[in-house]
Amino acid sequence: MTETLVVKGGRTDGASPSARRNFAWIGVVPFFAFLFLFLIVPAISVFWNAFDTDKGFSVSAMKEAISGQNRDAFWFSVRFSAGSAAVGVIFGTLLAYAAATATRPRWLRSTVTSFSGVAANMGGLPLAFMFLALLGRQGLLTKVLSAAGLDLYGGDFELGSELGLISVYSYFNIPLMVLITLPALDGLKPAWREACANLGGTSFTYWWRVGLPVLAPSLLGGFLLLFANSFSAYATAAVLTQNSMIVSQRIGFFLGGDVSIGENAVGFSLAAWMIIIMAISMGLYWIARRRAERWQS
Amino acid sequence: MTDQVVHDSLDQDPPTAPTGMAPPSVGRPNARFARLVPNTVLIVAALFFTLPLLALARFALQNVPTILLGWSTLFDKWSLEPMGRAFSDDVFWASLRLSLKLAFGTVLLTMLLLLPTAIWVHLRLPRMRPVIEFVTVLPYMIPAIALVAGIKLIKPHARWFLNSDMSLIPFYVVLALPFTYRSIDAGLRAIDLRTLVDASRSLGSGWLGTIRRVLIPNLRTAIISASFLTAAVVMGEYTIARLLLIDSLAPYQRILVGRDSQAGYGLNLLALLATTSLFVVVSVLTKKRDRKRKSFAYAAAKQASSQEHHPE
Repeated sequence: MTETLVVKGGRTDGASPSARRNFAWIGVVPFFAFLFLFLIVPAISVFWNAFDTDKGFSVSAMKEAISGQNRDAFWFSVRFSAGSAAVGVIFGTLLAYAAATATRPRWLRSTVTSFSGVAANMGGLPLAFMFLALLGRQGLLTKVLSAAGLDLYGGDFELGSELGLISVYSYFNIPLMVLITLPALDGLKPAWREACANLGGTSFTYWWRVGLPVLAPSLLGGFLLLFANSFSAYATAAVLTQNSMIVSQRIGFFLGGDVSIGENAVGFSLAAWMIIIMAISMGLYWIARRRAERWQS
Repeated sequence: MTDQVVHDSLDQDPPTAPTGMAPPSVGRPNARFARLVPNTVLIVAALFFTLPLLALARFALQNVPTILLGWSTLFDKWSLEPMGRAFSDDVFWASLRLSLKLAFGTVLLTMLLLLPTAIWVHLRLPRMRPVIEFVTVLPYMIPAIALVAGIKLIKPHARWFLNSDMSLIPFYVVLALPFTYRSIDAGLRAIDLRTLVDASRSLGSGWLGTIRRVLIPNLRTAIISASFLTAAVVMGEYTIARLLLIDSLAPYQRILVGRDSQAGYGLNLLALLATTSLFVVVSVLTKKRDRKRKSFAYAAAKQASSQEHHPE
């Protein structure tokens, strides 16, 4: 192919790199302007309104958004999001490991990868209806369990409860974790394991001293991403439940005008707090991912 | 069963087989026992991921109340009809048309905005790549439910724009950005961009001609993937549409369940199948490209080495 010859033939640019570089940034201006207009401006206006109460600039609405019922809502949401992230990390990693080490059916690994690619992006309405059909009050599994003498709705189970949300969100969290962990598991060189064995280490030593430390950034990053993912999900929860302890639902109620107008600023303060929490967890995720990539080349 | 019997059209090249994991045979006399935990995980996962799907399919396609469901009625009254029942509803077609328009507009605007930017960054501002990459993750930090709060706030200041349903398009471009950028970026990494551009330009083509006749054909897979992912995101978007009271497809899906639950479940099943097939096409295309690229790189290397021996 001629391409290879052109590579050797040299590049036409680079003659005056400094002159070019001075104006190169103009090329990305439209992109940044677009993002500013349609992402940053809405975000800033949320914060603006969170601080702009009828008493002028004040942190009172921001404070109110994390006190009383609102604090309970944040606590509940953080709990189920962390729980769902933990479940996702553990089972996602186990599933990735099982798929990566399986030698028997050769299609297994590619099936798990392809399926994870689809299911990780599953959210919204169909997911909610899938679980309503399975675990709702009239759900199939509910029916099977009650035939077996186990009344799922006898206690305080509900799809909008902590346990319910964790099971539903696992449907996209576990596959997402598989996608994150598989490359990380591939980064574990067989030579390390052999070296560990040669030095007299057991399987436990290998995982404790080599495997886990190398995987740690991926696992931590995965946890943060899954947490953020669960914390911000709206559509699925909106169909599953009326539970106003879920922060995203609470924001939805305020925006939908389900409360008196005076409390409007609190709705925006809730949204502002959500952005803050998301920014922290995604920022940490970004750092963890950088670290994780070190072993994956 | 032997390993060789099982084949899959997607995975026929041994080089992509797992490389990093330790072979179970090393120092493991009881390999069969060691597989117990992973195999259990695989089976439980298979159940966890298929049962909800089957449950949805049952509610959509079988017209038997759960109370009456038992071994004797398990195979009664299955029909594909409820999946298409929405088709006789004008409101359905209106919502579908709106969602298709939004999806088309979002794909178009994404490409107009992202393609030139990504190409430019790869060519002229490679040091800005991490910055752009970070910026494209921002939509994760400002999720749909927070974004819609902001949209509600700026609405009074831009009614002329935000009163139109089509005003959702730029916001959907933003929502899909993490997917679309990654896809386009992967496409650009897969080709020798600088060489292609230099070759095209030195043959006298302008920038537009280069993008249209050289880059777009070479980025076909990435562009199709990004478009399909965008379409999937837009067609399923509920949060913003619902809270801005826009009658697109996803809000309709929910309304229909309230009115005629079987038809609603049927439509949701259909939507799920449609989205899934979009994602499957994307993953097949991407795999094909990566494989082609590998074999192409191999052929190019071979040719290069042969040309060293026989220069023209």
